Amino acid sequence: MTSDGGFELLEHTADVGIHAWAAAPPEAFEQAARGLAEIMGVRVPGPGRRCPLTVRADDRAGLLVAFLNELIWLHETQSKGFAAIDVIAVSPCDLVAEIELAPLPETPEGVGVKAATYHQLRVEPRPGGGIDVWVFLDV
Amino acid sequence: MEPRRVEPFVWEVPVGTVDGMRVPGIVFASDDLIARAVDDRAVIQVANVATLPGIVRASYAMPDIHWGYGFPIGGVAATDVDGDGVISPGGVGFDIACGVRLLRSDLTWQADVRPVLRELVRALGSRIPRGVGSKGRMRLSGSDVVRVLREGVRFPLSHGVGVEDDAELCEDAGVLEEARPEEVSDKALARGGGQLGSLGAGNHFCEVQVVDEVLEPAAANVLGMFAGQVCVMIHSGSRGLGHQVCTDHLKVIDGLMRRLDIEVPDRQLACVPLAHEAAVSYLGAMSAAANFARANRHVLADGVREAFETVFGRSARDLGLNLVYDVSHNLAKLEEHEVAGRRRRLCVHRKGATRAFGPGHPELPLRYRAIGQPVLVPGSMGTASYVLVGSPSAEQRAFASTCHGAGRAMSRTKAKRVMSGQDLRRTLEGQGIELAPAHVGLLSEEAPYAYKDVSEVVRACEGAGLTRVVARLRPVGVVKG
Repeated sequence: MTSDGGFELLEHTADVGIHAWAAAPPEAFEQAARGLAEIMGVRVPGPGRRCPLTVRADDRAGLLVAFLNELIWLHETQSKGFAAIDVIAVSPCDLVAEIELAPLPETPEGVGVKAATYHQLRVEPRPGGGIDVWVFLDV
Repeated sequence: MEPRRVEPFVWEVPVGTVDGMRVPGIVFASDDLIARAVDDRAVIQVANVATLPGIVRASYAMPDIHWGYGFPIGGVAATDVDGDGVISPGGVGFDIACGVRLLRSDLTWQADVRPVLRELVRALGSRIPRGVGSKGRMRLSGSDVVRVLREGVRFPLSHGVGVEDDAELCEDAGVLEEARPEEVSDKALARGGGQLGSLGAGNHFCEVQVVDEVLEPAAANVLGMFAGQVCVMIHSGSRGLGHQVCTDHLKVIDGLMRRLDIEVPDRQLACVPLAHEAAVSYLGAMSAAANFARANRHVLADGVREAFETVFGRSARDLGLNLVYDVSHNLAKLEEHEVAGRRRRLCVHRKGATRAFGPGHPELPLRYRAIGQPVLVPGSMGTASYVLVGSPSAEQRAFASTCHGAGRAMSRTKAKRVMSGQDLRRTLEGQGIELAPAHVGLLSEEAPYAYKDVSEVVRACEGAGLTRVVARLRPVGVVKG
């Protein structure tokens, strides 16, 4: 675990969680999104089609859930993987990102993720500076 | 926190275990299963559910209880429709009306199926779309999807898919009349509208099974089942459409919690009073997704019939490939139950639990009314599956509910560490089980050893007076999502 940003997958009897961290919320959310893409097996090489993404929610933690759910929806409806996920800004209730969607391999080996949940959801300042986030997925 | 045994197979989680409990928790389990639930911390989730406004009698958990997200898997909670009861989308889960369908046949294992098993599993594999995001067997226009959401299994039936008995032998005759397709978002339609007749991934499967032992011959006879008979079990749900319905409505309801001044110990337990317009909207959308799930399993069963017809060169009717029953194990239903000597209208959440009406219940199909509601309990690849029926005491025990499966005992990561998918495939094939997985690499996530002992789970259900065991089936061919 490094202090400049990363993620780890958390074990759960039925499902799986992500703990991500970074110096600031946009990077921490980006790391969480990378964790999601790894679980789903949809991190793919570029180049791809870049598209803007905006998400709203009632609070910052809800924003993380809404953001990950938007990525799950995009993947399933476009049948594409993610070559890049760049979170540009995170305010308390809004997130702005740019996503690069690219073709998936013929048989992607990843877990189907139904949704990001609110279970044990946390977005917290990191001791010594930075942000920690925890989110669990229904797989 | 140690639950207190109050009767054989019945354990109480007392009020006060977590702050704000309105009723006690009751877990139905053997000694071993309750110990696992405590280790797993799922018992704390039973206590958390007991804080829901308007919860009646107890927060229940079935013997296959394990740690979930918000609700425990195996959780049952009924809330008062005419009082201050709430509905919680987390008490249904993302795979709305995920469930099990069982087809029987006139074929026997030794004489008919064993010689052609590999060919049969291949034929099934080529007709059952599966894996993440797979498209369905039945292609629908936008207006067709809306009809499925409203009509459930009636829609494919009206297009010549399936036979009339398929509706009668489905819970709720295959359609929830309270469905409101207009409450299903365009995003949900875009995500799952094209997936009707697809298995999905994870623990979903289509298995060729053999009736290994009949434990209650009279009930088995009513269900048309006999030892040595070949059956097919389908485990699937409402696909991306249902997942998105839950995501959409949960976000709305989560946002209302502060305004409505409702506090819950886990944010995934977000809930709203049943009279609130958000509850009405969710119930309508959830029912529509449930109709999609029933229709999904119905269309998958059509693929099964087609595969058998191809391999045996006879019609499905001639092969006796008829529906035994179809149940859902993730649903909230408005039902009437007796509480403290009075009939009450309740919203019964079953999250990884199956409805199990006892004998004589008016909502059961006439031909099954004398034996109680059939309950289909899927195993996991190498392990047995079971057919149960509701006990006379089921309603008093836990609002006529029982288990939904074995229940996971091990995380997916741990399961993969024990054995690779290839090794598991070799092991199962060594036991004579033919496999057609969507991804061999992911196979061991769903390995039999990742689950609790399903036989112990159904024994605990019987011991607790929830259900009676009718028959045990063993898998011989597995088409895996």
